[in-house]
Amino acid sequence: MPISRRQALVGSAASTAALASGVFRPAIAASEPIRIGYLPALTGPSSSTGIGINRGTELAVKEINDAGGINGRQIELVVRDTQSDPTKAVNAATELTRRHKVHVIWGPLNSGEALAATPLIARDGVPQLHPCWVDQLTDVKKYPLAFRNAPTNQQIGGAANHYVVNIVKAKKVAVISDTTGYGTASLNAYVPMLKTLGAEVVYEGSVESNNPDLKPELLRMQAAGAQAIMPWSVNAGFLSRIINTRAEMNWDIPIVGQTTLGSGQTKALLKKPEYWEKVYPNNFRNCSYNAAGVLPPRTVEFVERIRKANIEMGDTLLWWIALGYDGPRLVADAIKAVGSGPEEIAGYWNKVKAWPGVYGSISWTPELHDGFQNDEIVMCQANSLKEGAFTLAPGYTG
Amino acid sequence: MLISIVSYGLALGAVYALIGITYNVMFAASRVFSFTAGTVGMLGGVFGALCIERMGMPVALGFLVTLAAGAVLGIVTEILTVRPVLKSLEQHLYVLSTLAFALMLQQLTAIEWSTEPQPFPRLLPFASGFFDQQFWLPMLACALTIIGLEWLYRRTLVGRAFLAISEDNYAARALGLPEQRLRIASYALAGAIGTLAGFTGGEMMLAYFGNGPLLNFYGFVPVALGGMGSNRGAVAGGLALGLFQQAANFLVGGIFASVAIFVVFIIVLLVRPEGFAGAAPARRV
Repeated sequence: MPISRRQALVGSAASTAALASGVFRPAIAASEPIRIGYLPALTGPSSSTGIGINRGTELAVKEINDAGGINGRQIELVVRDTQSDPTKAVNAATELTRRHKVHVIWGPLNSGEALAATPLIARDGVPQLHPCWVDQLTDVKKYPLAFRNAPTNQQIGGAANHYVVNIVKAKKVAVISDTTGYGTASLNAYVPMLKTLGAEVVYEGSVESNNPDLKPELLRMQAAGAQAIMPWSVNAGFLSRIINTRAEMNWDIPIVGQTTLGSGQTKALLKKPEYWEKVYPNNFRNCSYNAAGVLPPRTVEFVERIRKANIEMGDTLLWWIALGYDGPRLVADAIKAVGSGPEEIAGYWNKVKAWPGVYGSISWTPELHDGFQNDEIVMCQANSLKEGAFTLAPGYTG
Repeated sequence: MLISIVSYGLALGAVYALIGITYNVMFAASRVFSFTAGTVGMLGGVFGALCIERMGMPVALGFLVTLAAGAVLGIVTEILTVRPVLKSLEQHLYVLSTLAFALMLQQLTAIEWSTEPQPFPRLLPFASGFFDQQFWLPMLACALTIIGLEWLYRRTLVGRAFLAISEDNYAARALGLPEQRLRIASYALAGAIGTLAGFTGGEMMLAYFGNGPLLNFYGFVPVALGGMGSNRGAVAGGLALGLFQQAANFLVGGIFASVAIFVVFIIVLLVRPEGFAGAAPARRV
């Protein structure tokens, strides 16, 4: 049947009107990719964490897409390298929320950048998932769409305090920090927590991180009868000086604290490798070997997948890869269940209970967006690193 | 305790004294206080670790390369940050130009080297012990530097030319002395002394970009205490500062040690503004 010019014009007008009115929009939306805005620091001074997390994130996205995506929609990771710079993180976050209209933001991956970017992401009404430890980065009133799948600094300090008081059974504890914001804030937060647990804090002090001689401070701790030293600093030079000085004083007490105690940079600054004995940094139960040298079953299976994917583990940490792997999966599970609307995603996450991540189990509520469980934060033996994972410190079971 | 105060105190004091001398040698040739002195000191540790630890050079070669790099940095400092502002010395523009250059070098080191302290190699194959090389090497370097400078300034023609331009550069130029070349040589010498401080103090302070501001500041204290331009005063001031700092670490500890140092520093400057070895400025009538 021939179509007249009038019929064609009427048909075109009807099609245009239908498109404008959104009649076909669900069909388009149902097939468009899920855009996850991703803000890792892949270059710059904080990039070692970002590079490790990135390996897990890319693996998770590949696995989800290879399995057919989320309800048939592929994940598109819109990556912006923050270059370890909060200013760049802010610009990148704005670009992702406004220009790319991403459905979710995964990151930033370190606290300095997250502190700068989180208020802007919240303002633009985009759900955000991040693994940063600074306590203030979740607040259900200020940032109702921001969720954390990692521990807070309070939980990190709490786990170290628990180990010192309840497992090592130290009654007298020395707490030292450097004079940075992180160091002094940790000291101020953790000392009262220790006292609540019943420990006597016999030494409490902040010292400049590049002070080359910490012997005066350790002598003061020794004279006060300290049975454990808890240093709070991310400066490998400061931490290695404490470890070296303890050894040179032939003082055989445990050093318990932040993850940097077990880093390669700290190891490189030790005068002798054996000085690393009885040094216990924070770690995570799911990514730690037990006394028999075995990882938890869920993690063993994950490591197998990492190996099959030819992902390098020797130059990074297993918990960084695991953390990166959990991020996109938390997003995928939410969108699969309730769709890609911001309120729907946040509503789903608000009800997540004991979500089985490789890095850790996550539970969120509408009142608390800090999902990591206290009992999954442990201490490990600093000198036990093998294929990216550490062995639990003495005293833990399982 | 006393042994630790003396060993660490004198060693740190020697490093501060060498940075103080770096300030003085630059000042003598140009009447400019270049705030690159501490940064050059920091780079002494970084270059040393880079050459010996990372590139595997023999210690002697690494030492020479480090000093040469310091001399080149000194020359670059003179060309980029001092020469352009000499005509307006009274406006103290050199504070901005030298500080900006120091900050640039520090940030560049953070980006290209590391933001974490890096290990510095053992320089001599002696076992560590009671009076370790990390303590006596900076002291030896300081002693040799002050003896060498005394010999240079008092026994050689070039040294006397340095003194001539530091006393009155107009008169020196009128006598035909090549002021600009002598100033460049002074800055090269100062750069080498600065890196010597960082290199010999490297085992104690590590190869760390954050040492720059610390050396800039603690290196300036001996200059102020000892009198501007006086190398002997800088050595006395540096050693006194090191000993006092270490004693304060033991007696009061923590951040209070820094407070104690600056209280004493301010009191000394109030009582004797020209420093212990400096002469009170003559009043023009």
